[in-house]
Amino acid sequence: MKHPWRWIIGLLVIGFLIALAIIPGGKKVEFEVAGEFNREVLLKLPTIGPFDMSVTKTVVYLWISVAVIFVFAMIVARSLKVHPGRFQYAMETLYELARDGVVGSVMKSGKKQWFPYIGGVFVFVLTCNLIGLIPLPFGEGHQPAYYAATANLNVTLMLALFTFVFTHYAGIRKNGALRYVKAWAPSGAPPVLKQVIWGIHVVSEFFRLISLSVRLFANMVAGHAILAVFFAMALIFQSYLVGLALQGASVLIYMFELFVAFIQAFIFAILSAVYIGGALDQDH
Amino acid sequence: MDAAAAKELGKLLGAGLSMGLGAVGPGIGLGIMIGKALESIARQPEVAGDVRTNMFIGIGVTEAVALYAFVVALILIFVA
Repeated sequence: MKHPWRWIIGLLVIGFLIALAIIPGGKKVEFEVAGEFNREVLLKLPTIGPFDMSVTKTVVYLWISVAVIFVFAMIVARSLKVHPGRFQYAMETLYELARDGVVGSVMKSGKKQWFPYIGGVFVFVLTCNLIGLIPLPFGEGHQPAYYAATANLNVTLMLALFTFVFTHYAGIRKNGALRYVKAWAPSGAPPVLKQVIWGIHVVSEFFRLISLSVRLFANMVAGHAILAVFFAMALIFQSYLVGLALQGASVLIYMFELFVAFIQAFIFAILSAVYIGGALDQDH
Repeated sequence: MDAAAAKELGKLLGAGLSMGLGAVGPGIGLGIMIGKALESIARQPEVAGDVRTNMFIGIGVTEAVALYAFVVALILIFVA
């Protein structure tokens, strides 16, 4: 036959795969997906009022995000050049994305006033999401583990509360409290329907708070759970063959999680801009 | 079957049904929306940037509905 070497190598590969499938899968190791989201106390601090000030893994990750943003901003702000180097160019791209893509394309008035908040929330959520994709030694016994600060409903609820409070603050400051609340019912509607629509609008304002926080939280939790399952597929199936076959799939899922981290930060920022812009010019 | 086992069965069944059926609607909605965005980009390539930005907003809002079902499934399994 032509090319006997190809046949031999092909048979060796198939034999290797069959051997992988047959070999018993090593020690039985228990694997639990939810173990990543344990929030045990790292440093116990006293309770002030209703708030327990102890330091947990989430608090340390929030500090890490703040430190990373601070260091990057200081590095770029110390030596601004007219012809930017690579690092300054990257930071400028991020700034322009926040200024033109998020605030400029959605808000009509109040762009300059609200850009610090929306740009800040965009960069903060982006940094928290991206740091969640880097393994840091916070696992049990200081093993490397993945965790995102935004995979915690408390953190995302606080961020959504900022947007909620700022929305109503912006609307009330611009239009006056009574006119702002009255504008929730459309002017050209019959009397009973007007009150019903007003009631529905009140409910939808509260629902925006919940949806903004739960969207970010659930995306991050689901992403990390899928990552944990894919990375530990060999343990779950107790088979070497499955572990080898799913290395590529693990990389693909990781890339998708990177994409989701960017998209969720962008969506949080742009929805905040839509809500604040909607409260500023109410009859568009 | 005693009460504790029945409750466990109910929890797991409810979680599975919640996530499974709850992903049907957003899946269809996302497909329709992204298809329409592709059609409008094909018709008028100059507005591709604007269309893409608004499509991402729409994707975020629609996928949030599927994630509500996921959160309900999580609550069923881990809390109560």
